[in-house]
Amino acid sequence: MKNVLITIFIILFAMPSFGQRFITKTGKVSFYSDAPLEKIEAVNNTVNCAMDTQSGFFVVKILMRSFVFEKELMQEHFNEEYVESEKFPNAFFKGQVQNLKQINFKKEGIYPVTIAGQMTIHGKTQPVKATGTFAISKGAIIASGKFPIKISDYGISIPGAVVGKISENVEIHVHFNLKPLKQ
Amino acid sequence: MKKAIRIGAIGAITALLAVMYVWFFVYNKPHQNFEMAKPEKVLSASQCFENFSKNNTPDDGKVLEIYGIPSSIETADSMVVVCFYFKKGMFGDEGIRCTLLPKFQKAASKLSTTDTVYIKGFCAGYNGTDVIFEKSSIINKDK
Repeated sequence: MKNVLITIFIILFAMPSFGQRFITKTGKVSFYSDAPLEKIEAVNNTVNCAMDTQSGFFVVKILMRSFVFEKELMQEHFNEEYVESEKFPNAFFKGQVQNLKQINFKKEGIYPVTIAGQMTIHGKTQPVKATGTFAISKGAIIASGKFPIKISDYGISIPGAVVGKISENVEIHVHFNLKPLKQ
Repeated sequence: MKKAIRIGAIGAITALLAVMYVWFFVYNKPHQNFEMAKPEKVLSASQCFENFSKNNTPDDGKVLEIYGIPSSIETADSMVVVCFYFKKGMFGDEGIRCTLLPKFQKAASKLSTTDTVYIKGFCAGYNGTDVIFEKSSIINKDK
């Protein structure tokens, strides 16, 4: 009986810490890099993203092989020589919405957001801070933003033959249409 | 002199052909046609998901054909996704998600969640939640 009461007590106190979870499995992540040799662009439309409106917890899972490039050769080089998709198939981001109190998830509108967390690409983890917006409309949250990364921070090396012709800096764009998770 | 010109011309034509070959068949080579590709393996959707979720025999980076009864047909933006779900997790239903080639999107509306469907596509891998198939096509077994 004592254990049952303790369990009920824990559940009652734990519940408020979980808000509504919003998810998407068709999130879009694209990157762009302009360089003397050529511009590099790729898009991934099957990205998982989840967000908890109570805690501000924000998580993204990206399957690297799902990035599509205009040129097949670029796609091959990206997977085989740069990000080594066979060895490191996924990239992750785990972070927190920094200005959660300024967002009213019950009121439609566009809210500026800052998300800070840790991003893992190519097996290397780095702190990342991104700014963007949450557009709240019809019960969904459209999260979008962009941030730069330096590929050498993630242990991705540019082959000697093309050093200086491929940009070290890549701009990442994200767009997630998050909908409430149906339990 | 004539011989030198002839050798030079042959050299120039050979170099031009080499550049054209590299330009068309290496640098600008087309994306793989997954609709026409022969699957490396045919297996049930449940077996495929089990292989990945238990890290048994991952088949990522391969063209696979899977079969099973779809749990749902989802549409998002311009995509149509055939889903086979087997469990629930942080991201809700988890299983296999097959994004169809545009050519097969119309046919997806005729799929039911009671009949077995055969899907072939490029298996991009497992993201810890779902197994992702890209550029998938619906295989008509009645042919």
